[in-house]
Amino acid sequence: MDKIKQNPIVKKLGFNRIVLVFVILLMYTLFCVATGGNFAGLPRILSALNYAYFLGFLSLGVTFVIATGGIDFSIGPVMFCAALISGYSLTSLGVPMGLALLISVFVGFCFGLFNGYLVAYWSVPPFIVSMASMNIAKGVASVFTKTQSVSWPQLAAGGWFRQLVKIGNFPVGLVIFILVAVVCALLLNKTKPGRYILCLGSNREAVRLSGVNTKKWEMLAYVICGVLVGIAAIFFVGAYTTVQPGYGDQYNNEAIAGCVMGGTSMAGGLASISGTVIGVFIIALLQEGILALGFTKDYQLIITGIIVIVAVYADVVARRRKN
Amino acid sequence: MGEVILTMNDIDKSFPGVHALDHVHFDVKRGEVHALMGENGAGKSTLMKVLTGIYTKDSGTIEFEGKEVEFHNAREAQDAGVVIVHQELNMVGHLTVAQNIFIGREFKKGLKIDDKKMNEEARKLFQRLNIDIDPTDTMSDLTVGKQQMCEIAKAISHEAKVIVFDEPSAALTESEIAELFKIIRDLKEQQLGIVYISHRMDEIKVITDRVTVMRDGGYVGTLITKDCTKDDIINMMVGRVIYEEPKTKSLVPEDAPVVLKVEHLNAGKMVQDVSFELRKGEILGFSGLMGAGRTETARAIFGADPKESGDIYINGKKVEINSPEDAVKNGIGYLSEDRKRFGIVVQKTIAENSTLATLEKYMKGIFINKKKENEVTKKYVDSLATKTPSIDQLVVNLSGGNQQKVVIAKWLVRDSEILIFDEPTRGIDVGAKNEIYKLMNRLAAEGKSIIMISSEMTEILRMSDRIIVMCEGKVTGELGIEEVSQEKIMNMATREIS
Repeated sequence: MDKIKQNPIVKKLGFNRIVLVFVILLMYTLFCVATGGNFAGLPRILSALNYAYFLGFLSLGVTFVIATGGIDFSIGPVMFCAALISGYSLTSLGVPMGLALLISVFVGFCFGLFNGYLVAYWSVPPFIVSMASMNIAKGVASVFTKTQSVSWPQLAAGGWFRQLVKIGNFPVGLVIFILVAVVCALLLNKTKPGRYILCLGSNREAVRLSGVNTKKWEMLAYVICGVLVGIAAIFFVGAYTTVQPGYGDQYNNEAIAGCVMGGTSMAGGLASISGTVIGVFIIALLQEGILALGFTKDYQLIITGIIVIVAVYADVVARRRKN
Repeated sequence: MGEVILTMNDIDKSFPGVHALDHVHFDVKRGEVHALMGENGAGKSTLMKVLTGIYTKDSGTIEFEGKEVEFHNAREAQDAGVVIVHQELNMVGHLTVAQNIFIGREFKKGLKIDDKKMNEEARKLFQRLNIDIDPTDTMSDLTVGKQQMCEIAKAISHEAKVIVFDEPSAALTESEIAELFKIIRDLKEQQLGIVYISHRMDEIKVITDRVTVMRDGGYVGTLITKDCTKDDIINMMVGRVIYEEPKTKSLVPEDAPVVLKVEHLNAGKMVQDVSFELRKGEILGFSGLMGAGRTETARAIFGADPKESGDIYINGKKVEINSPEDAVKNGIGYLSEDRKRFGIVVQKTIAENSTLATLEKYMKGIFINKKKENEVTKKYVDSLATKTPSIDQLVVNLSGGNQQKVVIAKWLVRDSEILIFDEPTRGIDVGAKNEIYKLMNRLAAEGKSIIMISSEMTEILRMSDRIIVMCEGKVTGELGIEEVSQEKIMNMATREIS
């Protein structure tokens, strides 16, 4: 094991991520075999990708928050809130499509700013802040849409935003998702904000006593998360058209599972964007596979729940061994 | 003196990068006070942590009352009768004295905690020990010295057979120390084995029967106290290390300008009306007992904690410092006493830590200029002789002394003119300690100004150009290096309390 880890190629790519890629391939093969070959083929893959896009943006976002040692349980409901407010503006208030998309991102941004400000400047625990804003997001969305669900227009009815997800069978969404992930990776690993976010997640006081304005950078992590959640909303409706007020909680767990599985530590300070991307694909594939095998969505809830616990426990064990 | 009650044989323990204990031998007899001595980083505390199971040993045996034992945690050791009175106080501030003493083993009346019985028992305990503390007082209202007494009472209440005192006198006044010694003599009479860790040579001569000296994690030797001189002990402690020559006079030129002036600084009860000046190229020692308010003063100046009032002038100009950010911008660097919590980001690399205070200078557009960052890191790794396989090493894998150098590098990269070194050699090994001393002297000679807070008297006397003594949040004296003596400092450090 240790020998494999010291191999330079493995070291560069990260042992953890190589294992995860094999997990994806193995899962895919298993699903194909178990469904008698039904799982193979483009439709299933496109369907899994649809799931991976919005979940991926959520997961990328929450990676920044977890990197600071915080947590955000509001991402799912905020995504729904963003989709509902922008969608209602589009369908009932006559706002043009382009502006509606910006509104979605803006709603995400506002929640990110709200969460971040409370966590960083008022020192309210992130757990509490995000639990509260989860309910606020649900409430605001319901009030704004008068508790009605919102359906975004089809491509033929002027819904050009769907081309962000796919054109014909070409997965545009995948290209956008990978591009955004690359930007996130650069941001986290090569820029000042990323450096500070990772360092303060590891030891906030030491960073503060180095003369760094830790509050500002901590808040920024939540804002980045919020913006990505706003983008996630666009890809959610791009794939699934209709959103209902009062939902979205289950995606918190899935997004956090993808993130932690990819090697981001819940304790903060350690985060991997490429890991998150791979983790998201695993969750999306799992979701698709479970449905293909004829199980209901409930089983998927159970399995993601277990994945979160196992992934976090693995992180705890790894850290204990290091100390 | 009775038979041997506790023997530690051939104890070995390594941490990443440090051989902390190198086949150490130590034993205690019934009815004896056995001093464990050595400079900071010699391995005394590590040895005691191995004894009580906080650390697991790599090899060696521990025999207690004739049987081989291995404690897995402090609780197990306590139950067997081996108790440590820690240097740091482990008290819950908002509970009463009695509640603290019986924490984890409260007396119960049905489901209810029986506070009355606990107060009674605590009162009896204090009577036996001749300590004047009311068990119903809230712990945080007591002075540090009284809290220490409670800690001792708590240890004794465990029906201990061996008690380890880890620098018990660091926070005590002369009269409290006298009280402590009376208690220790009583315990000795009751045939307990006492381990006494202290830096104060005078105490060792007064209270102990034998002295074991450690150095660099190794066992040096054991002496009968009454047959040896202070110099014998010091020679054993210092060994091969040749320290920087102690200063006999200030090296600061007569006309050196004042770079930092603090006037009437107030911040809570630990910092009351503190005023002083720091001159260019000076090493200004801050001495005092534990809890005298030195660290709090430093933190208030640095903006780490809020201050209530007071003015700070840098190079004659008044500055507003409300956060560490402001302090750093004004050229102040702060090396904390608690390196792991406040100094370094352990899970990050040396390079990332080195530029933490200066990152904006190592940018290329929006990206971090890794090449430039590596260059400057390399430069300071070389010039401070930081021992590491590479600059991409995580700081957690370095020894204490090398971690300290990384923190120093952080402030040197920043080119800070004023450096506050709070216990700069705490928890680092003896060789590295002298390197830090050399480095501080070099920095001072280059015109940096240094405030050095230290609880080690030898360090204060060896390094300072001038010494400020604090006691209970106030400055109680100022001494030039020419006129200073250990007695004068101790007088000032305990002036207000007694």
